[in-house]
Amino acid sequence: MTSATLSKPARIPVFIGLAILAASILFPVFFLVIAAFRTRIDYLRNPLGWPSTWTFENLVSVWNAYGAGSAFLHSLFVVSIALVLVLVFATLAGYSLAKLNPYGAKIITGSFVSVMLVPSQVLILPIYLMLSALGLIGNYASIILLYVATSLPFAVFFLTLSFRAIGDEVLDAAKVDGAGFFRTLFRVAVPMAMPSLATLAVLQFLGMWNELLYALILLPDDTKRLLTPALSMIGTKLQNDQPLVSAGLLIAASVPLLLLAFTSRYVVEGISIGSSK
Amino acid sequence: MTTTEIARATVGAPEPGVPTLAPRRAAAWRRRERRIGLAAAAPAFLIVVGFMIYPVLFALYISFNRTDGEDFSWVWLSNYVNILADPLVHQVFVNNLKFLISVPLVVFFSVIVSVLLFEKIRGWRFFRFVYFLPNVLSIVVVGVMFKGIFGYNGAVNSAIVALGGQPITFFTDGNLAIWVIITALVWSGFGYQSLLILSGLSSIDSSVFEAAALDGAGWWRRLFSITLPNIRRELGFVFIINVLYTFTSLFGFIFVMTAGGPGYDTTTIDYLVYLKAFGSENLGPGAALAVLLFLFIGVLTLVQNRVFRIQDED
Repeated sequence: MTSATLSKPARIPVFIGLAILAASILFPVFFLVIAAFRTRIDYLRNPLGWPSTWTFENLVSVWNAYGAGSAFLHSLFVVSIALVLVLVFATLAGYSLAKLNPYGAKIITGSFVSVMLVPSQVLILPIYLMLSALGLIGNYASIILLYVATSLPFAVFFLTLSFRAIGDEVLDAAKVDGAGFFRTLFRVAVPMAMPSLATLAVLQFLGMWNELLYALILLPDDTKRLLTPALSMIGTKLQNDQPLVSAGLLIAASVPLLLLAFTSRYVVEGISIGSSK
Repeated sequence: MTTTEIARATVGAPEPGVPTLAPRRAAAWRRRERRIGLAAAAPAFLIVVGFMIYPVLFALYISFNRTDGEDFSWVWLSNYVNILADPLVHQVFVNNLKFLISVPLVVFFSVIVSVLLFEKIRGWRFFRFVYFLPNVLSIVVVGVMFKGIFGYNGAVNSAIVALGGQPITFFTDGNLAIWVIITALVWSGFGYQSLLILSGLSSIDSSVFEAAALDGAGWWRRLFSITLPNIRRELGFVFIINVLYTFTSLFGFIFVMTAGGPGYDTTTIDYLVYLKAFGSENLGPGAALAVLLFLFIGVLTLVQNRVFRIQDED
């Protein structure tokens, strides 16, 4: 195609440049993974060198003794529940706004769009006061509610676009066949929107898994910490033990990296599509 | 599609849908559908009203009060006056301006990368994957990682020592620390943004390039007179979100890398809002600062939308 407009000789230095840039991305990650499997003494002797011994000690001790394990499970629990709720509510609302022309559609859409720009700094103080008045600070319900609320505007917007792309004739046909609202939605519309739903699920999962600020202020108890605040504590407390910190980072990064490895084309292309709409 | 065909066969109507129903029944049916639609959208709407719209209004209310969170006394604009006259806020705002250096850097890298990836250089899919990789990592992970790499015993210092230099303490000097954070920001940010630009590039009509090539326009000429003008909408968007990032999304980096220090040398506005909200007796000024930040973001978005004429093209 015509996009191949660079001349042949020019492509080689460009390739080298891109490869160097890729190496600058991969090297820190690689360095981190290696460091997680070395002893502290071995690391201090030569941080950049190849480890002389390999050990799982760091992973085990950061998981058990420094609370990364329980934090990991807490995050998994909170994010899974919040994700399911977001997907259910956003599917209902997105389908409704795309196809059913509900009463008050303008107000509903307007309010979703208007809060998309709200930075979390504006929300933390009132949210904290509201939830402490409800006695929910330190309760997983508070963080789940908040993750659902802050994810919904984008999720609804994204799914409204996806459902709008489904032809009316398909849905009308289902209705003429006697399918009610739920049947039409879950038997016809949702299967057709599956690729968008999957992309959305991955994006929202990553967003919640990686979130720090709300997790920090809404779950102040050490015993209930989610992964990101736990990790920032580990990073501060143990900053002289880089292998241990790296092991913690590896635990936190493992889920997003695995997710990316298995869904990369999906996510990467989903983002390009989502943004061009 | 098969459902449609079956429906057509069974109903026998030339058009799918409801035209077989009498108009009045169709109207009643449509009203019923609109009610169901409202019920379906209601849960999401109520959650967003309760946990986003109401809190924003509540923040606005707090910003006009002197309060410890329980007793409120209305003080009009004194929190705002207080904030705008606060030398610390001025210092922190200047810090934010320093972080703006990251914007041209991210835009520069993402434009170069996307234009070159668009050439379908060998292995471009792999490169695209690698560049995107930092984006799935938490800011906490990236921040702690860079803190380690630039730490006293980190990779950078051992490279400096290996080359015969003295180790540098990056985090005791505010400006050096800002550079480290900017590096982390660019490192983790440009991949996603180049994806955005890449999607803009893919939507350019390829016949324009063909015509230009026939006219003898060279690669650079095509870049500046066709490629870049055609993606100015994406460039504008990338520019806007990066400016917004430097005012709203540095919290995680600052929190894990420097905690705002040394002194307040790396404290940014979003970090200061956190400090004020959870470290002072009167919550009003913190809320006022958050509201000002929100207004600033809104104005910035409007101005930049005008400048890049994003609305005209849509």
